[in-house]
Amino acid sequence: MENTFETVRTLIAEKLEIDKATISPDSVLTEIGLDSLDTFDIIFDAEDTFGIKVPTPKEEIKTVQDVATLLDQLLREQAPEGPATPAQAQR
Amino acid sequence: MANTRRVVITGMGIVSPLGNTVEEFGLNLMQGISGIKRLETDFSDQLEINIAASADFDGAQHFSKKELAVLDRVSQFALYAAQQALDNAGLDADSMDTNKTGCYLGTGMGGAASTEEGYHRLFKEGQSRLKPFTVLMAMNNAAASHIAMHYGLGGPNLTYTTACSSSAIAIGEASRQIAYGHCDYMLAGGSEALLTFGTIKAWEALRTLAKVDEQNPAASCKPFSADRSGLVLGEGCAMFVLESYDAAMARGATIHAEIAGYGTANDASHITQPSVAGQARAMQAALDNAGLAPEQIDYINAHGTGTPLNDATETAAIKQVFGPHAYQLAISSTKSMHGHLMGAAGAVELVATTLALQAQWLPPTMHLQQPDPECDLHYVANHATPQHVRYAMSNSFAFGGTGGVIILKKS
Repeated sequence: MENTFETVRTLIAEKLEIDKATISPDSVLTEIGLDSLDTFDIIFDAEDTFGIKVPTPKEEIKTVQDVATLLDQLLREQAPEGPATPAQAQR
Repeated sequence: MANTRRVVITGMGIVSPLGNTVEEFGLNLMQGISGIKRLETDFSDQLEINIAASADFDGAQHFSKKELAVLDRVSQFALYAAQQALDNAGLDADSMDTNKTGCYLGTGMGGAASTEEGYHRLFKEGQSRLKPFTVLMAMNNAAASHIAMHYGLGGPNLTYTTACSSSAIAIGEASRQIAYGHCDYMLAGGSEALLTFGTIKAWEALRTLAKVDEQNPAASCKPFSADRSGLVLGEGCAMFVLESYDAAMARGATIHAEIAGYGTANDASHITQPSVAGQARAMQAALDNAGLAPEQIDYINAHGTGTPLNDATETAAIKQVFGPHAYQLAISSTKSMHGHLMGAAGAVELVATTLALQAQWLPPTMHLQQPDPECDLHYVANHATPQHVRYAMSNSFAFGGTGGVIILKKS
C-alpha cells in the first residue's frame, strides 16, 4: 500500500534528517545509512504508528519497500490495537 | 614511579554544573559560584529533596537525531568532553597511532535514564516492548565504546565502576598504560547522568542527601561545616588526554600537570560507612607510588561530600597520613559548588586540582560557616586563595569502599 511506504519513508527521513524525496521504494537500507539495528528501531517506531506487533522477520529486509511490505502483511493479519493515528503513537 | 615513563596531562574537557568548557568551569569555581539549584522537572513535586547540580547541556545541539537515538545522556557528555580534550591537546585521529590509544572511563550508573525509561514503559505504561537500543544505551561501557568508535581507538577500552571513585580509578589505571609504555595516548575520565526520578528516589531512601537550605538552595552542600547535612547529586563529565612526558615535550604540547602518583585501596569494612584506615591506605599508596613524603603535598582536593560521616572520617584519615603537616596543608571540597558527580566526581575534581596547580590559586570550600571540632584543618573556607602549590592530591572515596587517590605535580 502506498500509504505504508509513505509512512516508513517519513520515519526514516526523520531519523536520518534527510529529504524524504531521496528515499525510494528500492532504496537499500544499508546504503542510505541504516544498519540492522537502525532498521529494528524504524520497525519499532512503525509498530507504535500502526498499532501492530512485528515478530522477528523471517525474510531478509533489504530495501525500504521490504519494510513496507512486511508492515502491510502484518496490517492485514493483525487487528490494529487502536486507530493508526500519529496521536496514538507512544514514542 | 621508578623505571616507568612520566605521565602528563595535555588535554582536558568538561561538561559540568559549572559550565561546559574548562575555562567557564574554572572561572565559576574560583569565584565560589554554586551550580546547585532546585530541579525543575516533571517529577519535581514527587521529590522530598528537590535540589541537584544539573549540567546545562542539550544533546540536540551537538548530535544528530540518529546519533541521539543510540546515545544516552551519559555517552553524550563523554563524547562532547572527549572532543574538547583532544582539541585541547592538539590531537586528532590522524595525528595519533589509534591502535596505541585507549580509553578508560568511570561511571557509576551508566545509562541510568535509558534503564529507567525502559522500566517506565514496561511497568508504568504497561507496554510489552522496549526500544531496540535500550541495552546498548544503558550498558555501563557504552560511553567508552562510543569514544573508541568515534575516533577509531583500537587500544585498551575499559569501564570502571567503583561508585564515587570510578573516574579516579579510570584515570589512575589509564596513567599506568602510559607509564608502562603500553599506549601512546589515553583518553581517561568519567561520566555520570543519573538525575532521573528513580535514581534520586533511591538516594533519598539512603538518607545521605543534603537537606535543602531554604534560604539559599545553592548553599545546601556544606562540606566540613558543623551544619552539613549530606551530599547533593550532580551530573557531568570530564575527560583527559594522558601521554608520556617525553612525547609531549617532543611534539611541543602544553603540559597542564604531571600525574606524579596514583593509589587505590579498599576499606574492606562496610558497604557505606567510610573507614579512616581505608582512606589512609589509599592516600599512602599514592604517596608511595609518587615517591613523595607527606610534607611535599601542599593541597588536597578532598572527597568532601558534605555528609557528617565522610568529612569527619576524611579529616581523621588525612591526619593519620600527614601527621603534623595535616595542619599546614590546604584542603578544599569543590563539591560545595558542583555537587557530587558520582562516577564523574574524581575526573571533574581532577580538573579543579589541575586548575589550582596552573593558577596557583586554591578553589574554596563554599558554605563553610560553622566550625566543626571534628573537622579542624584548613579548608580554604568560602574564598579562593592564592598559594604556592607544587604537589596536589585529589581524593575519591566510595560506597563499596574503593578509594582512588591521584597526585599531580605542577608542570
